[in-house]
Amino acid sequence: MPTLDIEKIKKEIIDSQIWRSVFRGGLWKDTPRDRAGHIIGNVWLHLHPVKVRPRALKWAYTWGMGGISFALYLSLTLTGVLLMFYYRPTIGLAYQDIKDLEYAVTLGMFLRNAHRWAAQAMVVAVIAHMVRVFLTGAYKKPREFNWGIGVLLLTLTLFLSFTGYLLPWDQLAIWAVAVGTNMAGATPVLGNEGPLGSLVGMRINNDVRFTLLGGTMVGENTLLRFYVMHCVAVPLVVGILLILHFWRIRKDSFSAAPYEANEEKVDVWPHLVKREYIGAAGTTIFIMIWSILQNAPLEAIANPNVTTNPSKAPWYFVGLQELLVYFDPWIAGVLLPGLIIVGLIAIPYIDTNPKGIGTYAWKERPFAIILFMLGIVMWFTLIAIGYSLRGPNYAWYWPWESWASLKAAPAATWSVFGPKGVGAYSMLIGIPLIGGLMGGSILAPKLIQKELSGKLVMGGFLAAVAALAAIGMALGKMGATEGAFLLFFLGASFYFGFVLPQRHIRTLDWPRYLVTMVLVVCTMGILLKMCARLTFNIKYLLTIPSISMNI
Amino acid sequence: MSETNPNPSPDPAPVAAPVAAPKPVVKPDMSRGDFLWAGWGMLAALFAASAAASARFMFPNVIYEPSQKFNAGPAAGYDVGVSTKWLNEQRVWIVRTPTGFYAMWARCTHLGCTPNWWGDQNRFKCPCHGSNYTLGGDVIAGPAPMPLWRAKVVLAPTGDLIVDKAVLENKPGKRENAPYFAEYAPA
Amino acid sequence: MSYRKAFIVSNALMLAAFIWAFVKDFRAEWRPYQAKYYEMSADVLEKQAVAAKDPKKAADLKAEARKMRRSPLEIKQIIVGDLGRFDRCVTCHVGMDEYANPTLKNDFTENPYKSHPKVDAALVKAHPFTKFGCTSCHSGQGLATQVEPAHGWVKHWEKPMLKGVHIQGACVKCHGNFETLKGAEVAAAGRKLFNSHGCQGCHAINGWGGVMSVDLGDIADKPFERIAGYNFKRVKIQFEGDKAPRELANEHHNSEWNIQNWILGHIVNDPAEVTPNDPFAHLNAEPIPPSGMANFTKEIDREGADAIVAYLSGQTKEEKIPYRYHVPAPAPKEPALTGAAHGKFVFSKYGCQGCHGIDAKQGRRRFNAAGEGQKEFDDKLPEAEKFKSMNIGAEPTLPKLVGTYTQEELIKKIEGGVPAIETKKWSAKGPMPMVYMPAWKGKISKQELADLATWLRSIAVKDDSGF
Repeated sequence: MPTLDIEKIKKEIIDSQIWRSVFRGGLWKDTPRDRAGHIIGNVWLHLHPVKVRPRALKWAYTWGMGGISFALYLSLTLTGVLLMFYYRPTIGLAYQDIKDLEYAVTLGMFLRNAHRWAAQAMVVAVIAHMVRVFLTGAYKKPREFNWGIGVLLLTLTLFLSFTGYLLPWDQLAIWAVAVGTNMAGATPVLGNEGPLGSLVGMRINNDVRFTLLGGTMVGENTLLRFYVMHCVAVPLVVGILLILHFWRIRKDSFSAAPYEANEEKVDVWPHLVKREYIGAAGTTIFIMIWSILQNAPLEAIANPNVTTNPSKAPWYFVGLQELLVYFDPWIAGVLLPGLIIVGLIAIPYIDTNPKGIGTYAWKERPFAIILFMLGIVMWFTLIAIGYSLRGPNYAWYWPWESWASLKAAPAATWSVFGPKGVGAYSMLIGIPLIGGLMGGSILAPKLIQKELSGKLVMGGFLAAVAALAAIGMALGKMGATEGAFLLFFLGASFYFGFVLPQRHIRTLDWPRYLVTMVLVVCTMGILLKMCARLTFNIKYLLTIPSISMNI
Repeated sequence: MSETNPNPSPDPAPVAAPVAAPKPVVKPDMSRGDFLWAGWGMLAALFAASAAASARFMFPNVIYEPSQKFNAGPAAGYDVGVSTKWLNEQRVWIVRTPTGFYAMWARCTHLGCTPNWWGDQNRFKCPCHGSNYTLGGDVIAGPAPMPLWRAKVVLAPTGDLIVDKAVLENKPGKRENAPYFAEYAPA
Repeated sequence: MSYRKAFIVSNALMLAAFIWAFVKDFRAEWRPYQAKYYEMSADVLEKQAVAAKDPKKAADLKAEARKMRRSPLEIKQIIVGDLGRFDRCVTCHVGMDEYANPTLKNDFTENPYKSHPKVDAALVKAHPFTKFGCTSCHSGQGLATQVEPAHGWVKHWEKPMLKGVHIQGACVKCHGNFETLKGAEVAAAGRKLFNSHGCQGCHAINGWGGVMSVDLGDIADKPFERIAGYNFKRVKIQFEGDKAPRELANEHHNSEWNIQNWILGHIVNDPAEVTPNDPFAHLNAEPIPPSGMANFTKEIDREGADAIVAYLSGQTKEEKIPYRYHVPAPAPKEPALTGAAHGKFVFSKYGCQGCHGIDAKQGRRRFNAAGEGQKEFDDKLPEAEKFKSMNIGAEPTLPKLVGTYTQEELIKKIEGGVPAIETKKWSAKGPMPMVYMPAWKGKISKQELADLATWLRSIAVKDDSGF
């Protein structure tokens, strides 16, 4: 039997005219020149540098989340395009087509599952990437703009997930989107139900919600618009921003990890490329196995006349929906998300601490890390509550309680300041009082020039609150749970809103200080309003019904 | 020419027209820099106009939603109190008070059944799980989580009531005012 | 592990995962059923071939058997565009597919191999599968190709397959003349019971009937979201094979939590137990009485209950049935009666027996109305005792009530009704009774009222004075 000389055959193929015309360059040798050639000569790889610092490669440093996000994005694009062959975006056919994918299309269920689970995983990966970049200070100069692009990409990822959610046209889809778009209707000025909206002529058929839905309610037009946005418009924008994002990574000299003495760069081929491959392969295996084992949910066909009880937004928005218990839609759905996005983008510009770029510097960046992680913890706690602890009529159901069991009607609520008959006290007192409190909280840490002892101040404050709670309990005005709420929320607000800033940022210049403190005080405002509701059953601190302004 | 020249000189090079005195250069009204700026400006104007037009494009001019409006008949034909005239056809109660009209959507805010009006008890009672509502729509008892919704109601110049179920409100403070309340108090 | 190893391992894993996904998809639930059908049919043909005397016939049969055995496996569906049905039932139930089984008959005895029963009967002949599909009669999820989902006994499918006699509800959907239709006898019986026991006195059907409770004209469309889970859990039904009535299996949106069992639960259980609400104001600002529906468990047996369920299963407005599929009903004719006999007819025509009992013999309960047979009201009684008395309520037994009325007074009473607020309550703190006497002015014609009053006075109990 003639032996096959593999090497000879390989050489003949690679040296042939056909091969060389396609792939440019003949047989690779494992030399530095050829390793560089792999990168420079390949259109898909040539955004990479040829050499990279070994510190930048460590999994423990990068977590690989950026690459995993991109791998998920690519797999979503692939599965998404395949799904488009069997899906028609009209309300008469959409649900039926999803059923077809489930029962009649070869690998249809697998494809649908892969698309759904990759979408969920991508939201998690993108947030994890943001957390990692923050913790390694890799948003500081000169990477501020790239961080901003990243925040936009996060918002667009959530928007892609939101628009995709509607496409199966089941009860889950229609009511999740109804909740979300009703929040858009509560936008100040631009929404017909938001503060000042009716004053500028916004009605249900010309406000920003109308253009999002293509109508006055979630219907045929909405499905088509969301389909176009989900499959074409937003992926194009995301693609453009991704190009920009990768370009800036390269131009900002790739990794933020600080240079070490005598540091030798290593070749990207194979060292970076192999890690990227393993990351992408691992992600793919994870999604494939998840898709085989668990089916994506599909409820009954969308019925605009029947609201599911409870009707919840998708998990990544259910934290905001939980905030709807405490705030009006214009705050929970528009103002707070807007502040979050603006606040995130502002971070690189208000953070002047030169330490901790490229390292996990817990001790050197206490203020930044504590407050950022507070935001992340609050976000996921609200998601956990909204997802697992809210049942029919949005009442509180512990995980072991069946949703079929009856719950008592909620206690009556009251408003503190407002016009006569609506608020307990006049709003003429309320507006300056609340304004003053907010302004005072913003200015106080900087105005107190000396650094106060955290333990003393904190201890004193907690003691005062405990005393107040004890008096309240003795008078019969509140129970033990309310007292505990009071202690917890007021204590946390005081610590994060006064003690920490007082210690760390009172030396910041005024513009940066004000921006930071406004964001901090708004975050504390969330905690304080939750406290007000849970302890005293306060619905609104200040309500001005004539302009739909309720805080 | 009578004589032939034995040595004819080569054809004379074409002589340019005698160079006249240079015409005075007409100086353009704008400089070259300004001209370019004007060009960019027009491009910017084009982009701005396109953006505005695209924004306007996204607001549909016609929508295919069934009309939720109906003519509830002359206002003078209603007595003070609750009228179930349009309950079956439009699922709406027309309520007349001494000062005007409001129209309530007859859909219980618990699970969507149609409550009944019990005039003798002055309340709406839902037969499904017993939610009780006041004349104004507020929940007195039962599992309903929020008040009944009121639809937009307008008094037309012809004296008819026009009800629009597409526009709804149930928040106290807002539902008692226009457009969810039509004033009608003939002398 | 080195990256080289990881490279090989991860590629192997991806390949393995893909093969696993493909195999899982390929081994669809329907395939073995269809394959077995072809095998069984081929076996039958071969047996016939062996038994055939004519060698040519034997050869033909053998060839047919071979072809049958080699039939490709595919998803089959019946598309009925007019009705919006895409029924894939014949993928497993191959015996019912007219292309694989042209005679639509076979000798198999088990599902899914057996053919459709009664294919020669007028009923089935009148409803060819190509024009009607399967689910328009049987309900279920036609789009599915797995066993449980196709039968609709899964979460989130609101129209599961109709069981037993309930299927006759499908006849009611299109056949306005179902009451005289052969094959729809049970549904017709259901309608009769609905009228004879006075259900339409409280429950109108498409506007015809009383307004005290919900109109049942679209009851078959009632979504699960509108049924409170805490009430559904209280329904107890005894099915075939059960020794005693039991709770329905599997919470929420599953095979036994369907609209048929919800309706059944109202007839075979005491509705006040299914929907007890909150008569002692434990969870509400005010006490809320239990369901005002009377207890029909002693009046209507299980067979009757199923018949009513069959009738009501056809009350749908969601299915937009095309005009060509609709069979109109003949105009209803009232019997030519006069006087007291006419009055008795009027009594049942408007559903009065829903509250006043069949033939007005014995009234039905009114929760918390003060009446006979109750204990003396005592606030210190335990709640269970209080509930017993409240549950009896005042039964408006007409023979006992109308003896002292003149003709004019009685007509006026019926026209004006008796508002609930005039009721004397057994427990003052307890809830207002749910049911009341509606005002019939304008709803019952003058002649009918006169005859009704005549009849009622004729059955009134005479007291000693001979009134």
